[in-house]
Amino acid sequence: MLTAEQIGHLRHFDNLSRQLPNDWSLMQGKGIGQDDFGGYRFQLAYMAYALALTHVHRLPAAPGAFKATFERLIEKMLSPEVWMYWRDTSRGGAVFNAHLVDQLKEEWDPVVRDNIMYSAYVQSMALLYHYLFDDDRYTLPGALTFAHWSFFWGGAERRFEYDENSLNEHIYWQMVENGYVGVACEPNCIFQICNQPAILGFRLHDLIHGGTRASEVTRAYEQAWQQFGRLDANGHYNMMLLQDGRAVLPNAQRMPWVDAWCGALMNMWNRDFVRTHYPKQINELLQHGEAGALSVHVNERPETPGPRVVADSCDFGWVATWASEMGDADTLRGLLTHADRYMTPRWRDGGLYYPRNDAELNGAGQRTMMEPLTGNVLLGYARLNVPDGLWRLYNEPWSRARFREPALVEIDDDVDVYQATYDANERRLRFSIRRRTDRNADGRVVVRNLGTAPRWSMNGADAVVADDLGVTSIGGGARISRDGADFVLHAPEGAELRTFVVEP
Amino acid sequence: MTDSAPIQPSFEGLDHYGRAVTEATYRSKHLLVLFGFTHCKAVCPRALARLTRVLDSLGPIADQLQALYVTVDPERDTPRVMRAYLAERAPRVIGLTGTRTQIDDAKHAFRIFARRVPSATDEDYDVPHTAITYLIDPRGRYRTHFSDAVSEEELLEGLRAALTEGVSDQPSTRI
Repeated sequence: MLTAEQIGHLRHFDNLSRQLPNDWSLMQGKGIGQDDFGGYRFQLAYMAYALALTHVHRLPAAPGAFKATFERLIEKMLSPEVWMYWRDTSRGGAVFNAHLVDQLKEEWDPVVRDNIMYSAYVQSMALLYHYLFDDDRYTLPGALTFAHWSFFWGGAERRFEYDENSLNEHIYWQMVENGYVGVACEPNCIFQICNQPAILGFRLHDLIHGGTRASEVTRAYEQAWQQFGRLDANGHYNMMLLQDGRAVLPNAQRMPWVDAWCGALMNMWNRDFVRTHYPKQINELLQHGEAGALSVHVNERPETPGPRVVADSCDFGWVATWASEMGDADTLRGLLTHADRYMTPRWRDGGLYYPRNDAELNGAGQRTMMEPLTGNVLLGYARLNVPDGLWRLYNEPWSRARFREPALVEIDDDVDVYQATYDANERRLRFSIRRRTDRNADGRVVVRNLGTAPRWSMNGADAVVADDLGVTSIGGGARISRDGADFVLHAPEGAELRTFVVEP
Repeated sequence: MTDSAPIQPSFEGLDHYGRAVTEATYRSKHLLVLFGFTHCKAVCPRALARLTRVLDSLGPIADQLQALYVTVDPERDTPRVMRAYLAERAPRVIGLTGTRTQIDDAKHAFRIFARRVPSATDEDYDVPHTAITYLIDPRGRYRTHFSDAVSEEELLEGLRAALTEGVSDQPSTRI
């Protein structure tokens, strides 16, 4: 059964997904230009990942609680405001690629070269959608199109058409072309972490369309990195590889996000390695507070030429995410205790989040900084994940038979789903819902694959057979009607939690 | 925005006897194409040794194959250098070299990564490179490729399967 906090995070994801086009309220980070973790792409992608983990592990019989939100997140991911930074970043000129600036040109297509920290999120989100909801809409030609035109700027429309297959193929061949060591984010910078989403995408593509690309890539990737080493001399994850000089940049400052982000995702295919090193690594990142609270050491960014870099580190959020994947309940509990105590959790339109705060510490020295990625998404992700959540998503694939099982396929906006499972052995669908009073909807839940005469009961009352085309009352104000082969539950008014058991 | 065929296999240069060749020179056979350089310390010796063992294990059907080793370091890898190198390590393999432009064109066609890493001396530099082996069919079309990470047994079985299934219109499943 989901907790009120978990429901709140899901509702907040949904609220953000429903914001009007180009309304990024609550999502703007400290920096400008969509660089670094302040970029919307990270929030959109990790909301999608959190939805996927929640659906798979906590509400497997409720695709309808996630599907529409997922679609809206992908739609936002394709909007120019999210990817137009690449037009500038692709030209090089930053610290690690300044010497290449004469070789690089302005590139509008955001996935054709490098930029894996965007392309792989689009790839993996589209493939996750297909995998979770058995909906192939992103296989259609041009289903993943990046387009921009400005009346005020002039010129032809910039338009780049892909789909889940062509994008997956394109990223795969970039990986091959680079000797499997990975695809760069900013030009010349191949981060270990940023290639993990692409690996998830390859795995999903294999599961949907067949093939063995994920195993091929992970084996070759592992071998390619042997010459550089995954970890630096301090036992922390190497941050990145400079593509032209084949030089590795260690995590010299022990920045928590480097370990935590990488470890959380790499666990899906390299669990033994990640778990072997986790205890020592996490121990060096954590700061113990009062009464069970845990925080994360504040480390200075490495010095680089030029003005001070203004960006979101999201250290706290990444460490929480990592702890959730590792099943490190004590660490996760300590971090969430700290967040709830010092980072001002807030409820808004039924959603739970931690608002942005640019102050590193409060007067008593406790960490208070909160970035939109951490506050909107990562702490929710950590609360919703289960131990080895990504590992299980990757290694314990769902059977296609599940799409023939009873499931909640459409859910009105005024209904929160607290549990939804189908027990195939007992042939019993069980779900718990609560109607909201702050939404204007009809409390409808569409249930599919129930056969022709399912037995319904609410809150343990006697079961009632709903088998005709009229409206059947099952007591307590709940009614059942038919919509073609589907059954529609009209949930009673009121905010009580109600549990339904349906036997097809 | 991507071509349907992942690579367009083509090259132009000199074989290790100094003869001018292109991909069409070997059109009657399947081609196994790998890139490297004779100063390579680990990857190429390992790959060539593995390839030699696999070709031996394939038996008579290996006659349908011609293995080509394309240098990514044409400045040092002259035909004579390559001939001597391969005679010692992989006598069934033909070395290919060419001008810098020809080699860069071949790298581009096969989507090969290779870049010279600066060193203390002009002579002792390294050229990290993609270590995959492409299988091209007798009509000059990409069939499949094998990463350096596949085992010798997988490479052997993959080639055996590709050679015995004949030439179809579609690329086979990649290993």
